[in-house]
Amino acid sequence: MRDKRMVLFGFVRGAAAIVLALAVGAIFIFLSSDEPFTALRYLLIGPFVSFHGGVTAFNTQNFYQILAAMIPTIFTGLAVCVMFSANQFNLAAEGCVLVGGFVGSLIGIYANIATGWHPVICVLVSAVVCGLIMLIPSVLKVTLGASEMVTSLMLNFVLLYIVLHFLNYHFADRSKGATMTFPFLDSAKIPSLVSGTSKLTWGFVVALIISFLVWVFMYRTRWGYAIRMIGINESFSLYSGMNVGRMIILSSVIGGILSGMGGSLEVLGRYNTFVWRELPGYGWTGVTIAILAKNNPGAVPLAAFFLAYLNKGCQLMSTHSDVPSEMIDIIQAAIFLFFAAEQFLSGFRQKLVVKTTREELVRAESLDAIEGE
Amino acid sequence: MFDQLIKSIFQAEFLFVIIRITAPILFAALAAVISEKAGVANIGLEGMMMITALFGFLFAYWTQSWVVGVLGAILVGIILGLMMGFFSFKLKTDIILSGIAVNMLGAGGTIFLLNMFTGLRGNTGALVSPNILIPTIDIPLINKIPILGDILSGHAILTYLAFIFVFLMRTFLYRTPLGLKMRAVGENPNAASSVGVSVIKMKYIAIAASGALAGMGGAFMSMYYSQGWNQGMVAGRGFIALAAQAMGRGEPVGAMFSSLLFGLAQAMKTKVSGLRGMASYNYLIEMIPYVVTIIGLVFYALSVKLKTRKHQLQPIKE
Repeated sequence: MRDKRMVLFGFVRGAAAIVLALAVGAIFIFLSSDEPFTALRYLLIGPFVSFHGGVTAFNTQNFYQILAAMIPTIFTGLAVCVMFSANQFNLAAEGCVLVGGFVGSLIGIYANIATGWHPVICVLVSAVVCGLIMLIPSVLKVTLGASEMVTSLMLNFVLLYIVLHFLNYHFADRSKGATMTFPFLDSAKIPSLVSGTSKLTWGFVVALIISFLVWVFMYRTRWGYAIRMIGINESFSLYSGMNVGRMIILSSVIGGILSGMGGSLEVLGRYNTFVWRELPGYGWTGVTIAILAKNNPGAVPLAAFFLAYLNKGCQLMSTHSDVPSEMIDIIQAAIFLFFAAEQFLSGFRQKLVVKTTREELVRAESLDAIEGE
Repeated sequence: MFDQLIKSIFQAEFLFVIIRITAPILFAALAAVISEKAGVANIGLEGMMMITALFGFLFAYWTQSWVVGVLGAILVGIILGLMMGFFSFKLKTDIILSGIAVNMLGAGGTIFLLNMFTGLRGNTGALVSPNILIPTIDIPLINKIPILGDILSGHAILTYLAFIFVFLMRTFLYRTPLGLKMRAVGENPNAASSVGVSVIKMKYIAIAASGALAGMGGAFMSMYYSQGWNQGMVAGRGFIALAAQAMGRGEPVGAMFSSLLFGLAQAMKTKVSGLRGMASYNYLIEMIPYVVTIIGLVFYALSVKLKTRKHQLQPIKE
């Protein structure tokens, strides 16, 4: 009874946080727009419903695009989940996505590997490279106690400039106007899942499978348990004989591997060549997703879907009305703050707990009365 | 190549540039110091600087007065600090996460807000005019001294303020009752609370002060340093400041010296990229300040570790 009510409370609270955040967004829309209702309509239901010529219909292409947009963010969401579970505020997923995409691209351009295996090799190599990169903040944290948060934030900039250097001076296709690499070999591209221009590739299926595997790892294996336990109580883990340092490094390396995979699957699936010239921002979206999913890998695809939907809504809103798409950042920050707030609606929760306890007491007393007869 | 570099470094102008570059980092580092002293890890400095830089500039533009701009930036910084405080102390959002949320607002929200208020996209280049920029001052007497004058005179008012704040903050933290209470809250909240210090109140004061300092840093960036607001303007200075705080052992004067180190790294970056034959390494040169930050943090952590080992103490786990 109590558990059921608490789960329900969790849902209500999450929904309230989201509604509140959207309300904050709506306030800004009303403040800034001359046509707030058009803007709101595109933001909230635009992604699914098309309004062309007065006919409303389910928009399949938009739906596929939303699913496609989830590919990199599921990976970064999972990466952040694993690292945050061990209480490691490591924010280098952002840089790792970029490096993963770049390394995957290079292999996709220069290595001649048989069709079928080519994308697999690209993704695996970029995963390994990013896993190794994550050794930097995590080993520094474990051996020296240097804040993983600050080193990982600095590392993002370092990785960005390294990639830009190699992109500009070693691998650029000089025949193009903009800076980009040579086109990928056809064998390296991730095949599409559906026809059309939605860019929904097999990467999406891989992302779902990996989410399941990460869930199994975190909730059904010893290492996953150790990682979660470090997050819950590091001293307890230390005194009960866990190798805390090694587990922290492991969680960060897994985070790197996942972000690297996400980056290369995204680049090889969406583009024909490597075009990123700045940090892509998926790492930060990953943080929001991990918060929405409460660090549970199983809930990551759902959270990623929600954010991809919102993002699509914001894009549609900016094309069809006068509200810029950066609105998403304001809504996202508001969701973030309310969702992560442990005491949000705590008064309601308190009442619920009291009520449940009273009912249980009454029931226990009546049971005693029956036994006493 | 190196003699070119050395020639350009041993000039009064280079030291002048270091001080100019250090000022915004120093404001942010002091913001980190004061919040950390009360046990509040403010990682939202980057976003705070972006937002206050924007509002500072807008206030200055609307009133055509730089003073109002700076005061507006400080006010917005305080509001942001109190907002972070409300979510973290009242609603128990993890302070790191509130910081990330503020950074998110700083990254994309500012572009939205700029568009909402002015209809511009990405930068305020069109709105800049001389009277909304923070003026520079020549210090009488000192500007007559040959080399020293070139280095120390002619900076913006806020630059001097940044360095004055270092010593004001040291006095505040170590010579006033409020500072003592604040440090007590940071070191041991239970002990502080047991002698009647309101922990929450101290934390609110600390994070509001942190916001105000970040606001000055933001105003400095948009109203003096880059002469207008643009979206890539703060470029990690808020994060570098966190490293400066850590390297400076959480003390105002220490943070000043590590901020100067990062200012030096930043200034070196500009010098090195201006050298002949370095054009094709420009991206690697851009990296210098960030690499220096990581190396600095490593050395700091190493020194702490060696020190604790020397005293035969176990490092305290968080």
